[in-house]
Amino acid sequence: MSQQSERDGMLEKALNLVGLNRSFSRRDFIKLSGVTVIGISALGALGAKSGKKMPLIIMDKAEGVVIADFTKCVGCRRCELACTEFNDGKASPTMARIKVNRNLNFGPKGVYAGQHGQGNWGNGLITPDFCKQCPHPVPCANACPNDAIVVQPPANARVVDPKKCTGCKMCQKACPWEMMSFDSDTNKATKCFLCNGKPKCVEACPAEALNYLAWRDLTEKVPPRVVPTALVSPEKAAACKQCHKK
Amino acid sequence: MTKIGGWTGKVLRIDLSTGRISTEDTIEKYKDYLGGTGIGYKVIWDEVPTGTMPFDPTNKIIFGVGPLAGTGAPCNGRTAVTTLWPTCWPKPLVASGHMGGQFAAELKYAGYDATIIEGKADHPVWLSIEDGQVGIRDARHLWGQGIRRTTVEISQEIGAEAAVAAIGQAGENLIPMSVVMNSFSHSAGGVGAVLGSKNLKAIGVRGTGSVRISGNKEEWEKLVKFHLSLLGANNQHVVPNTPQPWAEYYNTSSRWIASRGRRWEASSPAIETGTCEPHRLNRISYRTNNAAFYLGDGAWKYTVRGNGCTGCPIRCHTMIKVPQTAAKYGIPEVGQNTCGGLNFGRAFFKTFPDGPRGETAIEACMVGMHLADDLGIWCNYGQLQRDFIKLYYGGMIKKKLDEKEFKSYSWDKYEKGDPSFLFQLLPRIAFKEGELGTALGLGTGYMLEQWGIPEQEWTKDYNLLYWKMGHPKHHSNEDAGQCGVIINTQYNRDAQCHSHSNFTRNGLPIGVQKRLAAEIWGSPDAIDAVSAYSLMNIHKAKMAKWSLLRKELHDSLSLCNWMGPWVASPLKERGYRGDDSIESLLYSLATGDKKNHQELDQVAERIFLLHRALTIRDMGTKEMRTQHDTIPEWVFKDVSGKTPFTKGTIHMDKEDIEMAMDIYYEVMGWDKKTGAPSAATYHNFGLGKAAEELSKRGLLP
Repeated sequence: MSQQSERDGMLEKALNLVGLNRSFSRRDFIKLSGVTVIGISALGALGAKSGKKMPLIIMDKAEGVVIADFTKCVGCRRCELACTEFNDGKASPTMARIKVNRNLNFGPKGVYAGQHGQGNWGNGLITPDFCKQCPHPVPCANACPNDAIVVQPPANARVVDPKKCTGCKMCQKACPWEMMSFDSDTNKATKCFLCNGKPKCVEACPAEALNYLAWRDLTEKVPPRVVPTALVSPEKAAACKQCHKK
Repeated sequence: MTKIGGWTGKVLRIDLSTGRISTEDTIEKYKDYLGGTGIGYKVIWDEVPTGTMPFDPTNKIIFGVGPLAGTGAPCNGRTAVTTLWPTCWPKPLVASGHMGGQFAAELKYAGYDATIIEGKADHPVWLSIEDGQVGIRDARHLWGQGIRRTTVEISQEIGAEAAVAAIGQAGENLIPMSVVMNSFSHSAGGVGAVLGSKNLKAIGVRGTGSVRISGNKEEWEKLVKFHLSLLGANNQHVVPNTPQPWAEYYNTSSRWIASRGRRWEASSPAIETGTCEPHRLNRISYRTNNAAFYLGDGAWKYTVRGNGCTGCPIRCHTMIKVPQTAAKYGIPEVGQNTCGGLNFGRAFFKTFPDGPRGETAIEACMVGMHLADDLGIWCNYGQLQRDFIKLYYGGMIKKKLDEKEFKSYSWDKYEKGDPSFLFQLLPRIAFKEGELGTALGLGTGYMLEQWGIPEQEWTKDYNLLYWKMGHPKHHSNEDAGQCGVIINTQYNRDAQCHSHSNFTRNGLPIGVQKRLAAEIWGSPDAIDAVSAYSLMNIHKAKMAKWSLLRKELHDSLSLCNWMGPWVASPLKERGYRGDDSIESLLYSLATGDKKNHQELDQVAERIFLLHRALTIRDMGTKEMRTQHDTIPEWVFKDVSGKTPFTKGTIHMDKEDIEMAMDIYYEVMGWDKKTGAPSAATYHNFGLGKAAEELSKRGLLP
């Protein structure tokens, strides 16, 4: 049993666990075979001795973050529209990097909260979801098998480099707040890049519900929407170990 | 031409009789009619034969949106629902209802510019539209449920983000006075029973796609921001209603009611609306609070926030939270709506123990919204309630009901202004119960006919505000003199046109308004100060024409005619000018089909003419002036005896109005004697085939 096939078996198990393998074609599967799952990886620092270029691990903090005041949000979704119209030339709330619509009717708990939840059908509270511009370790960036999520000055936002992105959607599985977006026209991931320090969403809000503020760590303060099911490449896992030795 | 934007390019067609689902090319088939009511009229003209009745399977109902729906153009949230109108009396004719909410945008994101519903399902169904996946689904479990329950269950199936347009029990029971409603509080009146007659309970839409902007994105951003800078408050009122530090003018009837000290107090913690200086585009949403506008300062303490349509910063549907009312009547704490919907319950009562703007009035609003927006009852722009008051206090209800039914209502409660009376009345309308419930659900024209009351009793009564064909006035001489009267003669339901009243009621002093009017309609004499009217002139007719065309344009592009047009603005540095070409600028950049405002108005005129042609065809007469474009007696009478054209009266002079109609028909290129468009006029607007068809039927002047 080679190391490769052992790794494949492990990956298959992991994909089964997170329910991912069903939607993956065989080709995708092969493409993914070079990665392993954080937490169940027992393979050691595979890439460390290969002499290859070190994988990208983001250490820099972002300079700013968009913050929403839920009580002021009036649910008009002009932020979602400004995000994609002014940046991408199309109105596309599904790929907006600020997300209001999914919480608009029934709140973050969804339709099963009925009239006792939040949103327009509940107590009226609207929750615009925004990217936390996570500090190290940046889940979406770490999950990217192509190092396509990079730090971009001046705001040091974590942004998707479309040239490197292959559209594998692994980053979507990494974000606990489900803030990764996908552009179905270009077949690439996209995320909040803080409009290079002048966020369109903040500018577009007609109720002063959004603010662009100096970065602060909200990762511990805002409850996650989902349990991330991230896959991290062995190279990256190895790189992590460089610093995080027992 | 550059790649088309705005439109998705596909129209969905659902035949409920056969279950066939198909799509058509929007650009190929409907581009000359833009969308919205344009597509609606076109389909009815081409496909619904004369003599069809509203509840016949051969009637069609079209949910049409336009190229701007779902974009970031401000105020684009409206869906036009066009069909043969069940409350149009004495003979149903074409008309449209308009709903805001999230439906229009969601339909676009799902990939469709319109949905044409035809035929009749053999059992209750709902239509599921999830992007490219469209299905006719069993709705037997939803039949009998209210709009709220229906929406929640459909959302559970296709996702919390879905926009669900549903009918309540009123629509199921084929009550002509019924609505279809989406996004909690956004309804299109009058069409619920047409869906009911097709066994269609709801349309649930979930779209994950996008609407492409054809033009340069930086230019689009600039244009959208420019448009935003021209916005006022609701109804495009451009001055505040109290003195503000930034404001040169104020007007107490303005809907721009934000001010220091006025707070959304039911938000936790409270939010100050503040001074809302017009250049602060990040505060547009605080300008309007329609609960406080209608219910007075007492409503601020219940205000949670503003709500409204996709992409609209105005938020005219105010959300109020009234826990004590909820506890007292066993209804939800939060209610939201605007105008007729907000006032639905309150408007039934002549008096309340604590006055028209007291706590009981607010209770009546809450109870009314809770019942009507779930049962799906339509108010016909308040005519239902005005009829009810007239029928009760005129003794007609007592006369018409047998003793048992009469006694089954707590009339003492009603007279005292007890909102619990609504629990007796509204369900009986929705379920067609008893003589009274049944009659009220018919709509005014058919109700009068059933009860043997001559229509004249209604047309002469100023308090009823009844206009014709079963429907009331909608911004008539009380807002724009002759221009308002002309507009109110043109439709087969209440006119629903705000182009004129949004200007005359914008709050600017008459001197400023006249200066702007001269630029837009060629003369300061196009407008008068309200209730200080002068004789008719051609500029007033031009304003009427412009108003009507812009209404159809908005209803076809998916811009809100409750907000537009935007020819005045709150900007002092612009001399309070707005921009007459904002619609064409948005249209051109979004779609890539470049048209200036005259060219786009021509498309609007085609759409409006098609409505006229349809009305003539289905009425079977060209005598529009005498048989369709009629004016109720109350317009010509002043109860205080003031003569027309004196200050303080809104009443009109008969001869002057005759002249007004003459000039209007001339400006439209229609025959003065009959009020029917000439063959040449149809030809000029690309409706040659319609002219031929009308000619064959002897319906050209």
